[in-house]
Amino acid sequence: MSYEMIALLMFSSMMMSMLTGQRVFAAIGVVGVVAAALLWGNGGFELGFSANMKLLKWYALLTLPMFIFMGYMLSESGIAEDLYKAFHVWFGGVRGGLALGTIGLMVVISAMNGLSVAGMAIGATIALPELLRRGYDKIMVSGVIQAGSSLGILVPPSVVMVLYGMIARQPVGQLWLAGVFPGLLLALLFAIYVVIRCWINPALGPALPPEERDMPLIEKLKLAQAGVLPFLIFFLMMGLFLMGITSLVESSAVGALGSLFAAWFKGRLTWEMWNRVLEQTLGITCMFMWIIMAALCFGAVFDGLGAVKAIEGLLVGEMGLGPWQILILMQVSFLIMGAFLDDTAMLVIVAPLYIPLVGKLGFDLVWYGVLYTITCQIAYMTPPFGYNLFLMRAMAPPEISLIDIYRSIVPFVLIMILGMIIIMAFPQIALWLPQHVYVRG
Amino acid sequence: MPDALKTYVRVVDAFNRRVGRIVMYGIFVLMGILLYSSASKMMLLPANWTLEMAQFVMAAYFLLGGAYSLQLDSHVRMDLLYSKWSPRTKAAVDVVTILMLFVYLFFMLYGGVSSTAYALKFGETSYSAWSPYMAPIKIIMVVGIFLTFLQATSILIKDVATAIGRPLA
Amino acid sequence: APYVKAQDKKITWRLQTYAGAALAEFVIRPAVDAFNKAANGEMEIQLYTADQLVPTGELFRAMQAGTIDAVQSDDDSMNSPVDIKVFGGYFPFASRYSLDVPTLFYEYGLAEIWDQAYTEVGVKWLSAGAWDPCNFATNKPIKALADLKGLRVFTFPTAGQFLSQFGIVPVTIPFEDVPVAMQTGEIDAIAWSGITEVFTSGWVDVTKYFLTNNVSGGWAGSFFANADRWNEVPEHLKTLFNLCMDSSHYHRLHWYWGGEAKLRAEGGRLELTSIPDAEWKTVEDAAHVFWDEVAKQTPRTAKVVEILKKYNADMEKAGKPYRYG
Ligand code: NA
Ligand code: NA
Repeated sequence: MSYEMIALLMFSSMMMSMLTGQRVFAAIGVVGVVAAALLWGNGGFELGFSANMKLLKWYALLTLPMFIFMGYMLSESGIAEDLYKAFHVWFGGVRGGLALGTIGLMVVISAMNGLSVAGMAIGATIALPELLRRGYDKIMVSGVIQAGSSLGILVPPSVVMVLYGMIARQPVGQLWLAGVFPGLLLALLFAIYVVIRCWINPALGPALPPEERDMPLIEKLKLAQAGVLPFLIFFLMMGLFLMGITSLVESSAVGALGSLFAAWFKGRLTWEMWNRVLEQTLGITCMFMWIIMAALCFGAVFDGLGAVKAIEGLLVGEMGLGPWQILILMQVSFLIMGAFLDDTAMLVIVAPLYIPLVGKLGFDLVWYGVLYTITCQIAYMTPPFGYNLFLMRAMAPPEISLIDIYRSIVPFVLIMILGMIIIMAFPQIALWLPQHVYVRG
Repeated sequence: MPDALKTYVRVVDAFNRRVGRIVMYGIFVLMGILLYSSASKMMLLPANWTLEMAQFVMAAYFLLGGAYSLQLDSHVRMDLLYSKWSPRTKAAVDVVTILMLFVYLFFMLYGGVSSTAYALKFGETSYSAWSPYMAPIKIIMVVGIFLTFLQATSILIKDVATAIGRPLA
Repeated sequence: APYVKAQDKKITWRLQTYAGAALAEFVIRPAVDAFNKAANGEMEIQLYTADQLVPTGELFRAMQAGTIDAVQSDDDSMNSPVDIKVFGGYFPFASRYSLDVPTLFYEYGLAEIWDQAYTEVGVKWLSAGAWDPCNFATNKPIKALADLKGLRVFTFPTAGQFLSQFGIVPVTIPFEDVPVAMQTGEIDAIAWSGITEVFTSGWVDVTKYFLTNNVSGGWAGSFFANADRWNEVPEHLKTLFNLCMDSSHYHRLHWYWGGEAKLRAEGGRLELTSIPDAEWKTVEDAAHVFWDEVAKQTPRTAKVVEILKKYNADMEKAGKPYRYG
């Protein structure tokens, strides 16, 4: 059997194993260890554990539990309620204003944590009930929250970009800066969509009655104080890192400590909340780490089979494609895989095959990191497999059905693809900031 | 279900829960090391052990926590088909497919034991200037994988019970 | 690899180098390609770069267990469980020029010592060669020993232990992560190679200064193989493999010798700085104290230190061009 055939067989076995509904890490890991044993005999028996030793050295992953802890701490800290109240008053008067406020809230939450979990938790528990109570269209707002929270991985800090940086060997600081304008661009596109929909059909997002939002300017400004804590946390994390005072992993610890202080400051630190946050942090960290551990083993065998050369041979040699055709093909394949695969596994297994070729074709790997991150955002929302889908299903009130959730993501996925095309056409949207702000990272 | 199996499930679950509840505080150990690293760097007295120690703590955190995370059902599944099944069908399918988990954990355990034996035999130290002994962290890793293995057996027993229509409470 | 082997009817080896992908193209790929071509289908060596199949620190273990069949690395980096591993890589001030390394091995008896030490742990030591000197590449100019204080430096374990007394903090990370670690602040400097590799590995993009004083004149590294795998190879292919290793060593000798000089002379992207010889002499003196400490570890390390001392004394006595001043 040729190596290409073995590689293909491995990939399809993995997909089949996952379809059984067994835990994703086990489905990936079993194919990795069995393939290693079949191919390399006794020598391959230890590859699974060897991947674990490799993982030990991936120091950037130390940021993962920190960001997860931070996300849960913030969503429990009450910061979001204050912020939401401020957005409520400022945007309430506009048609669809609360949905716009929710997008704003999501951008701020995104700037304080590196995943979409915190955004989803805050969106589903704080914003969603309020939006539904005010008669907003449930499908539209379900989409707003899923898409908005996905900005958590594009707006810095971002765990996905840390992982991408590890694999593509690109500086994380540059990647994070590159995500700033694309993140704002997507938020803007979401907002334009909401405004247009509500302008055509005001029933989708009724404006708040004036008595709820009319208050003296001074009161309105006071509400803006809600932004102080988020800014402080963002500064502690990003500022110290970009100024070169703390290293990447150290700054994530500083951010985690900051979120702890914020919760304490707001008087939210109860024994029960404390236990819930620590338990969830352990659970989610384990989920990520065990998937990465299994995927690293799978990836080592895959890589050992020369899959990189095979992909290059196929795309450049046999199909004779040009650079842009290859890039588009890769993004399309990521979108398709993203529907079925966990994005972390996708990154560890597939990205190492693509990234060397992308570099060789002359594309900027920081820019490509932004494109990749957007495909991950889409992957979070596309059925059957997506974190935001899972979270939405777990947290949404009963009146939002599974079909509603699936329908809600369609326009936002299209908007994200549009955003990605815009950034492909105008790379400077991503690259201007990292090229003009000097950072060592 | 025989009483012996019920007792086994109860003991394993209780033990792993206890371990998990302790391990979850490891995040503060990790945070402490990273903050110390940052502070000592600012005072121009950086230590040579912080990064590696943080890596060890991280490995202990997610491997010793592995069993508890299985118990909490923190691990995602691709639920294209799975989500449509009844709890009993899910359990019945899991009884078969959990074999994948066992095989993966078996190989992890095999490699872990072999690697630990090597570390003990040759007094292996880490490839770094700090050069700590590797056996302690490898033993912790193996223990973590082993506890996860035990938790998987407990889950298997519970799934069998559910599948035959006599779920353990 | 019974399964694949039966299919292909040829010997297939997985060889992992400790060099990253970019560097491997210069320092190992040509020899492997040459071997595969000359072996004419009877044997194939598949080359894997740093950390690709197994992490570098696990290379020895993986080779012993058969996960990989052969390794190109220094003893220090691959974490060999032998007392003499400290002399692999950059043992401080053991060599002045790269030619010192093969001379020590093949004229002064290190080869026999290495062969015996690795036989004891079930691995076949095959052949030693020299790479480049070990200098610092940094982001701030180093003009005095005091400038090194507090720097987090990516370096070899043994060199790191030695340099700690001058206030540096040695850090070990995967080879390919070095540029990013420079940028994320995990490390502040690299003491891993001469200037040729600073360019070849792309580290030139993340550093500004190059310190001309070196800690060692030539890296000492070797090829190793799993003993059983080596024994299975027929004699004529063993000979061919030996020739290819020699050709690899030979190529590196002039590639680095010329590269170091050319990049220093022509200047360019890195600014050269120096610590005055008189001040650097304290580092050299400290190295000899370090040697004596290492000599106390085992009879075998004592023997190696004795050889190093004898060799350096001979070179001093021989005078110019072997040693100046
Ligand atoms: Na973020
Ligand atoms: Na998806």
